[in-house]
Amino acid sequence: MTIVLLDEHRALALCADADGERHTVETALLEKAAVGEQLLVHAGVAIASLAREVAA
Amino acid sequence: VKFVDEFRDAALGRAVSGEILSLVEPGRHYKVMEVCGGHTHSIYKYGVDDLLPANVELVHGPGCPVCVIPMGRVDDGIAIAEIPGVIFTCFGDMMRVPGSNGSLLDAKAAGADVRMVYSPLDALRIAKQNPDREVVFFAIGFETTAPSTALTLKRARAEGVGNFSCICSHVTIVPPLRALLESPDLRLDGFIGPGHVATVVGARPFEFIPADYGKPVVVAGFEPLDILQSIAMILRQLAEGRCEVENQYRRVVPYEGNLRALEVLAEVFELRPHFEWRGLGFISDSGLKLSQAYADLDAELRFSVPGVRVADPKACQCGEVLKGVIKPWECKVFGTACTPERPIGTCMVSSEGACAAYYNFGRFAREREVV
Repeated sequence: MTIVLLDEHRALALCADADGERHTVETALLEKAAVGEQLLVHAGVAIASLAREVAA
Repeated sequence: VKFVDEFRDAALGRAVSGEILSLVEPGRHYKVMEVCGGHTHSIYKYGVDDLLPANVELVHGPGCPVCVIPMGRVDDGIAIAEIPGVIFTCFGDMMRVPGSNGSLLDAKAAGADVRMVYSPLDALRIAKQNPDREVVFFAIGFETTAPSTALTLKRARAEGVGNFSCICSHVTIVPPLRALLESPDLRLDGFIGPGHVATVVGARPFEFIPADYGKPVVVAGFEPLDILQSIAMILRQLAEGRCEVENQYRRVVPYEGNLRALEVLAEVFELRPHFEWRGLGFISDSGLKLSQAYADLDAELRFSVPGVRVADPKACQCGEVLKGVIKPWECKVFGTACTPERPIGTCMVSSEGACAAYYNFGRFAREREVV
């Protein structure tokens, strides 16, 4: 899923899946997150962000 | 789609398939276990096995979270769901897993308030919306899903949601792998390591496999090219006489895992001394329960549960399928009495179950070219 909007205070992100559908995702387990970044999301929680150097 | 399309490239797939062919020693039969149910699903969805020579056999492991839940745990969940006033929440697959007297879906049909959720956070939301009801979440899954439950319990604590609790059936992947490696029934040459579990725990926990058992492990992603490449990497290790943990899924998996997730898991959960796995029996230190600090959110302490061990139906051979001893189509009830619409065993319930993967993608026993 791709981050569309971030609420860093609540550790939440609005993310879009491959079909463009939007979901609220918990980001507390990520060291940092940024809009446009792709996340691996499991049961509503981001457990990894796809490697930045690969994503670029 | 970035990170998807490039890992489904047919020309590259054929090239890796050719590489695999070049690495295979003629006359030798290779058995490679894909630990994770997500891999099993991808292999049969994309026909990855059709790109392998016949003497490279994929053996399906115990890494489907729904498949390994024993019937007694389902009965425990149903007992709580049937308590008046309880809203019982679980993932969709879990609703169809048969207990000794039906499934959670049957309990729902009989009047219990059982609701499907996509995340434990949805269950917490239901609890906040229904402060006069007890809301219970049936937590299942490996280390991939456990952080989601842990964060939800932390949120429940922080927000003072007192009507929320969790029946915890989370499991860990290393103990059953060790049990399989100790099993005299199974001879394996290598392992495709579970990519998503490794996202959380890292690749390091799998080092015991080469160190203690002399088998290579390649942590792999879930697209067809990921799986093909991981098989090539295992075969290359074997061909070169090497034996180590390699990380094919580096775009997601850090070798040390997700340290924040591990911290949360250590805070919220502790190991059960024993946990029963379907088909594998009791395995020490393989299940998680809520730690003392979170015991007040433990549904097994808040409510009375039967906690009785229930034997699987005699006709069902999920145990042998989960151990990789038989292929799904070799089960006596596969595709006849047991189908995804009316499953007898758990392996036919979840899309990650080996039986469901074979059934849904029409993969049955057939001849392949022997090298």
